[in-house]
Amino acid sequence: MIHFSEIFITGLLVGGIYAAIALGWVIIYKTSGVINLATGELTMIGAYICFALYATGVLPFFVALLAMLIIVAVLGALTEQLALRPLIGEPLLSVIMVTVGLSFFFKAVLTIIWGADTRVFSPTVFPLEPIMLGPIHISQVFLYSFLIAMALMAVLIAYFQRTRMGLAMQATADDEMAAMSMGVSANSVYRWAWILAFMTCGVAGALLANINGLNVSIGFLGLLVLPAVVIGGMNSIPGAVVGGLLIGVLENLGDAYISPFFPGGVKTTFPFIVMLIIMLWKPYGLWGWVKIERM
Amino acid sequence: MDRLPCGTKFATYRADHAWWQTRFTWIKMLFLAFVLFFIIPQFVGGYWITVFNMIGYTILAAMGVQLLIGYVGQITLGHAAPIGFGAFATALSMYLFEVPYLVALLIGAIAGGLLSLLFGLPCIKVKGFYIIMTTLAMQFITVDIILTQFIGPLAGRGRGGVISVEPEMFSIGPWVIYSPLDSYYWMLILVIGMMVFMANLLRTRVGRAWIAIRDNDIAAEALGVNIVRYKLLAFFIAGAMGGIAGGYWLTNLSIVSPEHFLFGWSLWLVGVLLIGGVGSMYGTIYGAMFMTLVLEGIKLALIPLAFTFPAIAGKFLYFKDFFFGLTIILFLIYEPNGLAYRWWRIKRYIWLWPFSY
Repeated sequence: MIHFSEIFITGLLVGGIYAAIALGWVIIYKTSGVINLATGELTMIGAYICFALYATGVLPFFVALLAMLIIVAVLGALTEQLALRPLIGEPLLSVIMVTVGLSFFFKAVLTIIWGADTRVFSPTVFPLEPIMLGPIHISQVFLYSFLIAMALMAVLIAYFQRTRMGLAMQATADDEMAAMSMGVSANSVYRWAWILAFMTCGVAGALLANINGLNVSIGFLGLLVLPAVVIGGMNSIPGAVVGGLLIGVLENLGDAYISPFFPGGVKTTFPFIVMLIIMLWKPYGLWGWVKIERM
Repeated sequence: MDRLPCGTKFATYRADHAWWQTRFTWIKMLFLAFVLFFIIPQFVGGYWITVFNMIGYTILAAMGVQLLIGYVGQITLGHAAPIGFGAFATALSMYLFEVPYLVALLIGAIAGGLLSLLFGLPCIKVKGFYIIMTTLAMQFITVDIILTQFIGPLAGRGRGGVISVEPEMFSIGPWVIYSPLDSYYWMLILVIGMMVFMANLLRTRVGRAWIAIRDNDIAAEALGVNIVRYKLLAFFIAGAMGGIAGGYWLTNLSIVSPEHFLFGWSLWLVGVLLIGGVGSMYGTIYGAMFMTLVLEGIKLALIPLAFTFPAIAGKFLYFKDFFFGLTIILFLIYEPNGLAYRWWRIKRYIWLWPFSY
């Protein structure tokens, strides 16, 4: 039972980070309808930039994190302007494939600069000794990462509800034509969606890099966000959060209890299997909008 | 396709519907066949033959993707899975049951088709993005678990799911596919056969139903097309084409490993399609040629550079990804219809010159 609760809680804490990435995905999908397959690379970009700033040894981690946010915000605006803006109104395949192109491009640039070896944040950012919660061990890295991810999501939700641009983004997500006729600039909404996605994914990437070490496989962790959003429903923010938490838990439980019977690869594929089952039963996810199509 | 040089007229429907409509096209194609079958093997050296084989393999592999994306409108990002499954089925049936290569190729095709059909089943209920998700799931479940952990070790040799096959096993009657040159001829036969098959399939009732589904599936259903049956048929045939591509890949290397069918290869095939032209049979060929030859060009350009900057040598793979990503993005922005469309525009300009209106 203790073993189970440890696995469950660790999964939940990692799931918090996945939830932040899923939120970054849903922001882009809700506002502009772009299905972003480069999410994993957005996390990698943030992680590597944060690592490079931290590795200089001058900046403390949180200052490096904030400086990274500014850099990735500029990158996000540039990406939207150069690659996504020309494709507004193009068919689904073009928009998806431009994000695939971006993912190849970003991954290649990052590996050309930093190489494919695993990098570690040193000195370690969070203390190594675990916290005891009754008989349950919890690693501090996971706990603090979860708290930072949750704080990030709280900031984002406040942004959506309190600021002018956040409200404009909500309006665009709800009904783009109506929002535009009320004077909301769709261009700046798209730009801000990409900036916010880069920033949330960047923070999540930096946290994941603290947990697992930093290499190309962080990009694959970003791909896990897709089962998360499908399970949660593609255009639902609570759905993304719950889906992310669920993926974290499922991944760890699958690793602990199914891997002994089916060796290898279960940790990464188990979320996809669960997603397939949920898709057959509830194709639009738990909270997604059911699409009704007419001629 | 529908524009012809000035003054070309047809007296019969048969001539009007012909694939190659003018005598000039026939002469051109016969010349091309002559070049492919006689000139290239005579004058091209050993290394470049393997490059041509790679182009052929890319064409064969991308053809199933072209069918699904370009003609039925089902976006697939996991087509490496049926290719790998077909390759493993071919290799294992040759290795374990000692069936002849052609029968094994057929078994591989059916295996790839059935796998693709199984993961295509959700298309009954969902479409668009959700089909992408099921094909992604197909990629990860098949290649990372089934092939690596369960099917690969069946052969009982090698490790990590790698199967090696003796080159002598690839025999069609008295002809043993042994050298890269044999593999090249076999590639030409397969590519031509598959192109003829697909071109004729697309002109039948099935092909027209597929194109109707691609253009508007609700309208197609309202007009009496059984969309579930035709979509599943498309998944099966595309998977079977993938299986044949996998079976061809075996003759190229005599070894098969799950490493050859990773997610990146699936994305690469879709990229080939986009660069060549979605919904164009010739586009598959142009895209495969462009991507493979550009890659070789980059390699040739980087090798001299690597002498002066040794850091480049270990990072060739990343430069390949870099150019691939950049090419896709630039093509989507500046030439979304692909090379096939550009080539058609150039041809039309020449045909209609000097009165191009």
